[in-house]
Amino acid sequence: MRRHTRRVYGICYRFTGNAAEAEDLSQEVFLRIYRTLRSYQPAFGGFPTWLTSVTRNLLVDHYRRTRRDRMTDSIEDAMPQLEERHSTARTPDRLAHAAELSQQLQRALARLSPELREAVILRDLQQLEYNEIQSVLQVPSGTVKSRINRGRIELARVLEEMGVRPE
Amino acid sequence: MNWNCTLTEERLSDYLDRQMAPEEAAAFSAHAAGCNGCTRLVAQVGGLVRSMQALEPVREPSYLVSKILGATTGARPEKPGWKRRLGWVPMLWQPRFAMGAVTAFAALLIVLHFGGVTPGKVKRADLTPAGMWRSANRQVHLAYARSVKFVNDLRVVYEIQSALQRTPPAQEQEPASEPKSESPSSRPEQKSQTEPRPRSQVRTGIMVAALLNEPAWSLR
Repeated sequence: MRRHTRRVYGICYRFTGNAAEAEDLSQEVFLRIYRTLRSYQPAFGGFPTWLTSVTRNLLVDHYRRTRRDRMTDSIEDAMPQLEERHSTARTPDRLAHAAELSQQLQRALARLSPELREAVILRDLQQLEYNEIQSVLQVPSGTVKSRINRGRIELARVLEEMGVRPE
Repeated sequence: MNWNCTLTEERLSDYLDRQMAPEEAAAFSAHAAGCNGCTRLVAQVGGLVRSMQALEPVREPSYLVSKILGATTGARPEKPGWKRRLGWVPMLWQPRFAMGAVTAFAALLIVLHFGGVTPGKVKRADLTPAGMWRSANRQVHLAYARSVKFVNDLRVVYEIQSALQRTPPAQEQEPASEPKSESPSSRPEQKSQTEPRPRSQVRTGIMVAALLNEPAWSLR
């Protein structure tokens, strides 16, 4: 349960960039899973893939619903200090650096289009295989590859603009 | 194989994820090695991908799992309040609860019947605490009086039965002559002498008299 929660919360947090929203969305994902558990078919690609798919669909709904709000509010204002809190308890340089990179990455992700953002999150942050991402996004494999590739290049450009150079 | 910068950008992820045929990968590397722009792009995106894949997963708040468990396995938040409050009603249709309810109702009816309560005749005044107390008190006393009477009647019957059993058969004709002195007008003298009552009829008369709380000799 904790493993699934971490996965769902991670996707939600990386997509929305907001801890409170990620929490609410995670809860909503599990409520939806709980209600539609009968419709789950193992042939779909395993429970984690199904879970990711439900999460992604909910995030897309949420994105459409809150589009107008985002026009006025800057997403950076709502940036949580969650990971910073975790890292300051143990203060080796490497962890501090990772936490800083995580936050910078979060800001950069927020500037990507939702299609590219979700593709990069699923591939590089959730480390899903290409066929799993294809099942989740329900798009052809060529589109999956193209979105991942464009997303990575775009993200690298945004980070460069921000003056961040990942090693 | 001819390779150019556009192809490098298009196939960059295939190269980084090792999804490329060996000859394509060789052409990619050969081009990237000789092109500053492509070398920079590969290093930049490659570094980003490695950094992202090395990042620790985001930690969820510690209370989130229990919150989710509470929301999924506990009360459903999407139900309106009145539905949540009446959620136990369908449970009553289960046979065990229905049978229990019928038994309890029957028991209540029996208690009410023996308590002398007739549902149709109950007035509003009877429902006051004093009225209910009075009624209950009355019923208790009535029940006590009935039981005392029953026990007394039973004792009389047994006393008479044992007295009759002790009486010898020769004396059985005696009671027939007794009424002559006590109620001469009710029975013709000759008839009582010629047609004595059978023993069983006498015994029944005694028992009825005992049940009516009358002296046994009054029917003899």
